[in-house]
This record gives sequence, C-alpha cells and structure tokens, in this order.
Amino acid sequence: MMIQKISAPVSVNLIFDHQTRQAFPKYVSWEGQVYQINKIGLHHTYRTGKTLIHVFSVESSTLFFRLVLNTDTLHWTLEEISDGESD
Amino acid sequence: MENQINLPFNPKSPTVMHLDLNSCFATIEQQANPKIRGKPVAVAAYTTSAGCIVAPSIEAKKLGIKVGMRVKDGKMICPKLIILPPDPWKYRNIHIAFRKLLADYTDNATPKSIDEFVLNLEGYPAFKKGMTSVAKEIKDRIKKEIGEWISISVGISTNRFLAKTAAGLNKPDGLDIIDKNNYRNIYKNLSLTDLCGIKTRNAARLNNMGIFSVLEFYKTSVHKLKTAFRSILGYYWYLRLHGWEIDDVEFARHSYGNSFALPKPLTAFEELAPILQKLTEKTGIRMRRAGFWAKGVHIAIIYHDWGFWHKGTSLSNFVFDSRDIYKAAFRILNMSPYRKPVRNLAVSVFNLEKIAHIQLTLIDDLAKKQRLVSALDRINEKWGNFVITPGKMIGTNDVVIDRVAFGGVKELEEIVIN
Repeated sequence: MMIQKISAPVSVNLIFDHQTRQAFPKYVSWEGQVYQINKIGLHHTYRTGKTLIHVFSVESSTLFFRLVLNTDTLHWTLEEISDGESD
Repeated sequence: MENQINLPFNPKSPTVMHLDLNSCFATIEQQANPKIRGKPVAVAAYTTSAGCIVAPSIEAKKLGIKVGMRVKDGKMICPKLIILPPDPWKYRNIHIAFRKLLADYTDNATPKSIDEFVLNLEGYPAFKKGMTSVAKEIKDRIKKEIGEWISISVGISTNRFLAKTAAGLNKPDGLDIIDKNNYRNIYKNLSLTDLCGIKTRNAARLNNMGIFSVLEFYKTSVHKLKTAFRSILGYYWYLRLHGWEIDDVEFARHSYGNSFALPKPLTAFEELAPILQKLTEKTGIRMRRAGFWAKGVHIAIIYHDWGFWHKGTSLSNFVFDSRDIYKAAFRILNMSPYRKPVRNLAVSVFNLEKIAHIQLTLIDDLAKKQRLVSALDRINEKWGNFVITPGKMIGTNDVVIDRVAFGGVKELEEIVIN
C-alpha cells in the first residue's frame, strides 16, 4: 500500500493527561475499524490564516496515520495512511 | 601589517559549538512516521521519476543515494527507496524546537540554516559544565524533548569555521573538538576540498602555490596566501585555520525573492505570467511584512536546456505594491532574448529601504494605495495567503508550493507559530 494521501473526516479520541500536561490521540475510528494509537511520532502545528492546525503523526500496530485537528471547528481529518513500505 | 603576522593556533579553550541535524528532512520524516525508520527514505522536490532528491536518509546515503539525484536514479540504486514530498511546516516546527532548547544555554545561538546552529558559550554559566558535557546534554535532551530518532553532529572549536569542520568529521551523531592540542592530527587527515569553501577552483589556486595539504595550507604565510587568493581572503583563511574568529558577522538583508521549479517546462508568456504573478505576490507580502519598500526588481531564468538568463532593473521610485513589482518583473521577462522552455523562474526585489514618509506624486494617490494594499495583506493574513489575489493568478492554486530554503536562514526570521 505504501503511502496513501486521503482527506477524510475521521473520529479520534484525544486524551489530555494533566500530570504530564500532554494531549495525544488514543483511538482512531476509520472505515468501521478502531485503531489503538501506540506511538506519537511527531506533533506539529501551522496556521492557515488565523486558524491554528494541529498535526499528529501517529502509528497503530499496523498503520501510520496523519491526523489533522482544525482548532476553529474542532474537526479531525485523516490526511494520510501508510504501512511503511515503498510503492 | 598582516604580512608580518605569525600567529600560533588560538590557545584559548574552545567556546564555539556547531550543531548539524543529520539528514534533516528525511530524519524528521522518519521521526514522524515510525514505520519508515531504519529504511532508505528520500525527500524529493517532486515524487515523480524526474523529481530531484533534496534529502536522503542516513540509510539511503549508505547505499550511495545523494542529494541532487533524480528519483528514478535513486530507485535504480534501491528499488525499495521510499520517496516523500517535502513537508516544510514539520521542518520549521523542529527548527523552532531546537531554537527554544538552545536558548537554555546561551542567547548567542545563531541558526545558519534550517538544520545548522552555532552557539558561543563564552561568558555563559553553561560553559562551566564543560563544552563536551553541554554537547552531550543537548544530544540527550533532543532525543527526549524533540524526537528519539533525531540525531545531531556536534563540532567544538575556537571559531565557527573549525567548529563546523569538526561537526563534519564523524557523521552521523558525531562529537568532535578541534583545539590547540589536536589540530595537527585533524589537519593531517583532511584534504583541501574537505574544507568548507575550498572546492576545485580554490584548491587549484593553492596547488599553484605549492600547497597540496591542509597542514601545508596551515603553515603557509599570510603573504603567500594573499598572493594565492589575490585578495584579503588569504588573510581570512590564515586566521580561520589558526583558530581565530573571522566569520561571526551577520549580514543585513539586501533582498527578498521567491523562485519556482516548474513541474513541466513552459515557453509562452501567457503561461509564465500567472506563475510570475504568484512569485511577485509572495515576495511582496514578505517584503511588506518586514516593513520594506524596494527600488529594484530582478528576474532569473533557467531554461530547459540549462541555459541561464537574468536581468535586474533599478526603478525610478520605491514600490511596495506587488502589482508594481509584477509590472517591472513582466517588463524584464519580456526583455529575455530567448523563447525557450523555462525550467526555473525566480523573482527578487533589491535596494530595500524602510520608508517612514511617503513621497507624494501628482498621478497616483500613494497613501490610498498603501491603505488598500495593507488592508489586502491583513485579509490574507487572517484568512490564509492568496484568499484575495489578482485575477491573473486564477488557476495557480497548486503551483508555487511552499518550500523551505536550504542554504540560508533569512526566511526563518519570518516564521512565528503561536
């Protein structure tokens, strides 16, 4: 499958741990399947106009997901999945 | 005076540290996606077969994949090579995280590019920990606070040039010092072209004077080096190799510019005009954001056959409106004697000045124009760049995509993430 660009709405459980003061996605529900997030690769941000966008690059046991949170709408979008193989 | 100079190697303790993020873009992609760690990865300007590789991962480099190769050539060496497009905001975020981390040690930290920093700990409390301890601490903190896959090479010396040289001795993840105790041994194992700034032509100049090794370069008198380089540069090289600082100069900004490598070569002016328009809009916004006006416009074109043409024009008045920059740029574009497919188009503005008072003119109402342009800039700032654009830019949504400049760091002055 390699890397697949997607732009689909997705359901995400975001956890905030007040002790470590960290927020991270824990579960992703996409196309009828729930994936548990095992690792956060990178969390970065950028702005589109005044809208702050958070990007979480994360992996489950089988797939990599690029999850994007629009802080104006609080909507999540799945922008990319990958199994880490080349095309 | 300097003809009689006979300096020893700088005897003071090294206080300058050069940090180089190894295989920057590719490593950051591997940090983001754990499933591609340990695999050959290359970030390419375009992921198509003719796309140019801008950053191979450490694993890809070991296989012989180099910066500048075409994607298809990289794939020929390694069919399993993973090709990714650049994601500039990822790299800018990491750069900013680095800056914040380094600010804990000194406020004398200078980014030299998106993936290189120079620190000077002279006079700062951190120096008391010892330069090597600080370097190790920074390496550890990067793994813990920025990303466990990210590694840096660190060089320590008495000046910026030798610190950078030291950082290049053992890549990736190196930590080396060049000082009064070991410089001879280090120089013995380097060739002239290993030195940053000495490539074929400078090496030939040195060879003409009978200088064939770095140690011979070090031992050569200022007088002889000035003859070799036919300028003051010989004196600067003498100081660099003897560990004295000559490169801690920051130059003021002289120009703003944007360039674009066209995905397919275009010849007709009506095809090039929208791209030119978008480049001038980008340049204009950046220039105005920094508070400058420009009195010169420059165009550079690389043609499909690798031919090159460029021309700059000084304007009669200072301009701030992208439309005026575009008009001047389009006039220059029309002056090109060639009607060949264009591979790369670049626009820049120069002769910059911060104008406090507008010179009134009879024909244009400049104050009104300035209010209009700043209102448009504010709208674009709030709702995203290019929400309001000139009609000529219609259809250019996906061209002139966001890029990170490789060499310089001037664009990083403009990055703010809150």
